Amino acid sequence: MLVIVSRTGGFAGLTTTWRVDVDAEPDTESWLALLDALPWADAPHDRPPQPDRFVWLVRVEARPRREVRLPDQQVTGPWRTLVDRVTSVGDAERRAPGTPGA
Amino acid sequence: MKPTVVPPYLLARIVEAGDRFDHAARAARVGLDEWRSFAGVRGRPLEAPRTARPTRASGPDRRVSDAGGGDALPGRRVRSEGDPATGDVAVDEAWDGLGATYAFFADAFGRDSIDGAGLPLEATVHYRRDYDNAFWDGERMVFGDGDGEVFGRFTASLSVIGHELAHGVTQYTTALEYQGQSGALNEHVSDVLGALVEQHAAGQTADEATWLIGAGLFTDAVQGVALRSLAAPGTAYDDDVLGRDPQPAHLDDYVVTDEDAGGVHLNSGIPNKAFHLVATALGGRAWERAGRIWWDAITAGTVTPTTDFAGFAAATLEAATARYGVDSDEARAVTDGWAGVGLPLVGA
Repeated sequence: MLVIVSRTGGFAGLTTTWRVDVDAEPDTESWLALLDALPWADAPHDRPPQPDRFVWLVRVEARPRREVRLPDQQVTGPWRTLVDRVTSVGDAERRAPGTPGA
Repeated sequence: MKPTVVPPYLLARIVEAGDRFDHAARAARVGLDEWRSFAGVRGRPLEAPRTARPTRASGPDRRVSDAGGGDALPGRRVRSEGDPATGDVAVDEAWDGLGATYAFFADAFGRDSIDGAGLPLEATVHYRRDYDNAFWDGERMVFGDGDGEVFGRFTASLSVIGHELAHGVTQYTTALEYQGQSGALNEHVSDVLGALVEQHAAGQTADEATWLIGAGLFTDAVQGVALRSLAAPGTAYDDDVLGRDPQPAHLDDYVVTDEDAGGVHLNSGIPNKAFHLVATALGGRAWERAGRIWWDAITAGTVTPTTDFAGFAAATLEAATARYGVDSDEARAVTDGWAGVGLPLVGA
């Protein structure tokens, strides 16, 4: 099961994407527990954007497919835990918005 | 001739009153230029003696804080107005950049800080670790130190500091919504003002300027001169890790995407190129005419949070016509500039 975290926006406007196949990780169970505990339906999204601040897109390729878009200032608590874990484990891939891939 | 009768700080105040006393302001500007050439102080802000009563532009009130590698804001205050240099490069660069940005807005447009009412200028440095970014959070600029592989510290570029503070100016003027075309315009205004802050500090004309945003941010490992170019959007970098600068320079190449709030940092290339065309067609110091027109447009009330490219272009032509006349070189340069990026304007 693929977890994909994309960091978009920022001063440079580039998108960096990290991917983790949690089934291939040694601690799959802990990954699944973290993903299940996240409030996917109640993800915070109401604050106004801050210019040049990152916006994160978190996707899980599974059934059901899950996806949230979070401004950086609202990547806190369990969302921060997930983002930090994915970005430390996965390889980073940078590209410009609008280009195919990811 | 040594100008001694009217002291320079009074001339500076008359220049600042240009909105009300246009003719006097022009005369005062000539006097100021003569004084600067004589005293060799080109580009430095001129301050009133300490005994003088502060009036419209009383000087910056700078506050720099250190987040210490964490994400709590504002962090610990480490330098306030009047304090000497700290020796922390990021702190001192932010402080100098805030000062240069204040001086630019006061000198070019008679504006006292970003809200026109002496708002304290706040910056936080050393935000998080390996943080490849700088942003405006609604109250302050926040700077990372970069990761050391692709990006260095974000305070190293005056255009970045000017760009961030200009987001504050936009907050207090047009409040352009940060998505889609209005968001690209929000970004564009910050790039223009950021570039002009740098040009003003260096005393450069439009021909002498680099028109680059973020030159000096990349490490030596990156193939690129800057993050963006107003003169040639799409050419600032071409690197195997970062890819190629994705900015379009023409409306035909507008990027449609969900990322980056609809590509606000990309599609800003289109109005950026229009500004470059106007500034280089007119020549001289870009903030004096092209920059003045853009400033008039964003302070006239004609640009709203949802204005699109066509609406913004129209607002700049309206501003140019109001200040310089219908058949002026300036109005013609504005029309040609926008036509050059695929946004022809009808009528004048």
